[in-house]
Amino acid sequence: MIPANGFALTHFQAFLLFAAVISIAFGFLGRRRPKDRIKYILWSFFLFLVVGVGIAWAMYPFSR
Amino acid sequence: MADEVTQQTPLETPAQPPHEGTQRKRLAWAIGIAGWLVPGLGHALQRMWARAVVVFLAVGLLVVAGATMRGNVFSSNGGDAFDTLGYLADLGTGSFYLAARALERGGADVSHADGDYGTRFLATAGVLNLLAALHAYEAARGRKA
Repeated sequence: MIPANGFALTHFQAFLLFAAVISIAFGFLGRRRPKDRIKYILWSFFLFLVVGVGIAWAMYPFSR
Repeated sequence: MADEVTQQTPLETPAQPPHEGTQRKRLAWAIGIAGWLVPGLGHALQRMWARAVVVFLAVGLLVVAGATMRGNVFSSNGGDAFDTLGYLADLGTGSFYLAARALERGGADVSHADGDYGTRFLATAGVLNLLAALHAYEAARGRKA
């Protein structure tokens, strides 16, 4: 079950979990047909990854 | 000019008894509130099963993950505007707010990245549930499918 000290996720795992859950929820709420939903979920997930990793790279020079 | 008027008439909403519109509005409000209280219930009441299950699981997963990552579950006696906003966002999860409080026995620990992510997960769950409740309300009003 749930560990006593809580879940321990890396930054990237937390980011993937967030992107996946939100993409799926938006896909189901925003689209009606299964094919459209799958397309929307995949596209949204891909954009989350690209924008998230892009912002991380943009901030990298200021992190140290 | 007369032709324009004649052409526009069919586009108008068909007349319906006033009490029917009021009833539908009340039902839509009830569905919206039900969807806020129990994530997915607003859609389940309209037999939108897939959406109901997805909303329930998405909000539930974010709440469980957020609380067990030791995110901050804000309370009503927050010290500043950010705490109040966080509380409002957390309240968006409806009854799951109580579950988050029950899961967060060790207290929040935002000194680590996990706790900080947990706080965001909880706030996102609340806002997502509010969005889903609004969607259920709009669907009940016949504006969305």
